[in-house]
Amino acid sequence: MPAVITANLPVFLIILPLIAAFILPTIARRQRLQENLLLVVGSLGLLGAGYLVYLVMHGGISSVYQMGGWPAPWGIELQVDNLASFFLLVVALIILPVFLYSRRNMAEEVGSREKVARFYVLILLLIGALAGMALTNDLFNVYVLVEVATISCVGLVSSRNHPLSAEAAFRYLILATFGSALILGGIGFIYIITGHLNMGFAAQELVQVWQYRPHVVWMALIFLLAGFGIKAALFPLHLWLPDAHSIAPTPASALLSGLAVKGYLICLFKFFYRVAVPFLLQELAIDKIMKWAGLLGIVLASLMAIRQDELKRRLAFSTVAQIGYLFLGASLMNTRGLSGTFFYLASHAVIKSALFLSAGMMISVTGKKKVSQLAGIGKKMPVTTAVFTIASLGLVGVPLFSGFVGKWYLLLGALDSGDFLSALVIIAGSVLCAAYLFPVVRLAYFEPAEIKEAQDPGIPQKLALVFLAVLVVLLGVMPGIVLELANRAALDLLTP
Amino acid sequence: MRDFVLKRVVAVIIPFISLYGFYVILHGAISPGGSFAGGIIVALSVIAFATIFGLDRAKEKLPEKILVWTDSYGTLWYVLMGLVGIVKGVPFLSNRLAGINLGVPGTLSAGGLIALIGIGVGIRVASTMITLFFTMMEEEK
Repeated sequence: MPAVITANLPVFLIILPLIAAFILPTIARRQRLQENLLLVVGSLGLLGAGYLVYLVMHGGISSVYQMGGWPAPWGIELQVDNLASFFLLVVALIILPVFLYSRRNMAEEVGSREKVARFYVLILLLIGALAGMALTNDLFNVYVLVEVATISCVGLVSSRNHPLSAEAAFRYLILATFGSALILGGIGFIYIITGHLNMGFAAQELVQVWQYRPHVVWMALIFLLAGFGIKAALFPLHLWLPDAHSIAPTPASALLSGLAVKGYLICLFKFFYRVAVPFLLQELAIDKIMKWAGLLGIVLASLMAIRQDELKRRLAFSTVAQIGYLFLGASLMNTRGLSGTFFYLASHAVIKSALFLSAGMMISVTGKKKVSQLAGIGKKMPVTTAVFTIASLGLVGVPLFSGFVGKWYLLLGALDSGDFLSALVIIAGSVLCAAYLFPVVRLAYFEPAEIKEAQDPGIPQKLALVFLAVLVVLLGVMPGIVLELANRAALDLLTP
Repeated sequence: MRDFVLKRVVAVIIPFISLYGFYVILHGAISPGGSFAGGIIVALSVIAFATIFGLDRAKEKLPEKILVWTDSYGTLWYVLMGLVGIVKGVPFLSNRLAGINLGVPGTLSAGGLIALIGIGVGIRVASTMITLFFTMMEEEK
């Protein structure tokens, strides 16, 4: 690779989706061209993210990228480390199948051609913001990127051609704006007491000043936890998620549930482990809040998911429960817990996209939204149902599927810190997860068919689904590189 | 509105509002204001035209297609200016490092690439404001 590309790879990964987003409106009428452009962007993104992972793992790239060549306290930095490359890889792995899936498939859910183009623009802006969130090392940039991502998400939720989507999007907008305000407040507090917007410099100051201003630091961290908690659907703050994620068009649901909430989580982890230090979180009892919110989320959101009869709503509640795992893992404050969190984040991203895409395909082909109406679909749509089954097995955490590795590490982390309650809840969560996903599979395969005419989707959609299913199995059978990256990212965050 | 005086006055003022907007955009790098404020002033001239002469005539003068193009390429222009640095082998968005002559402080060229970026931002802001206004006017109908 030419040195120019290698040296500027992080920037290219951020501006690639943005450039495409700004070209798309000018070719709004030429749908074939748009979709090819999206595929090119997706493939280039995957190549770039893979190459970045290779470079980071072999030390072939400097860990700091200075925008405009200005050094740290004055200029804006991108931090090119294990965590960033890990999340970029996850993003790239999800968007390629999502683009494939939406190929010649969006008109029914979204509406006219202009609306489809607008939908693609929002997706690309969301991806650009997520890439920026993964890489940025600047407190205020985090806020700006969070806003870009939030507005794109709200737009995506509202883009469904359905009256309820406006209501869900409006509720999401109000709550998410409140979250943004809290995040800005938290960043403001940190800036006031440290005088820096660069995460590294702010961290150096924070370690020294927190003893003199413990309440300000506590407020800042609580604001950040609540703000990012709203956006990432931490348990008691998840109220907007089931409506928003179930009403959005299928590819958008997959992106929102699979990636968007994780982007906010990555930002929160950056604040908690890079700006603050684990010791500070324990001293101010932030980890207790995260732990209990996570525990309650796993149990209660799973119980709520069991009661949902609408398939996409059931999956949306399941997302809230899985976010609980991530917060629980992060609250353990040890390497295995945190690397388990990161691996589980990746595996949930893949699994939930597969679940939403396959469920959305069943719903759009049959027109039936309820679980009970989908009996016997397994014989009519074998590929789609098989992908749904594989992803369900993954989410439950059956060995040889990706969820198992993540849950195993979370369990080891919980036992490392002697936390038997968490360990118990992690296992109980798996059982509950089986209780809300396996009935769908049982109905699909072992009940007489009620649906007369249904068949598997076209080749691009099939490819997308199979790609995700293969990923679920691959991550479970040989977690290799991804697990290694997760381990390194956890070590980076826990050893200042 | 069919008021003769209003129409004549606005017809005289509009070019000056636009001109002032472009002045603010161009001098954004070296004086108070900037491309955001300037872009809004440029948009105001179109908005004034639309309120006085009617939405339909404003849309004839400035069709939606042009607005979409300026919206998109104004922002792309920003990215292109950022890429100048990468082409010259220095980081993204570099200004003096990329070998741009920054000229005499206080003159128009003193901002280097910032002035050029400002033009893109100004165009983008102007077209976004106009699009917003047109959309709201349409909804009122």
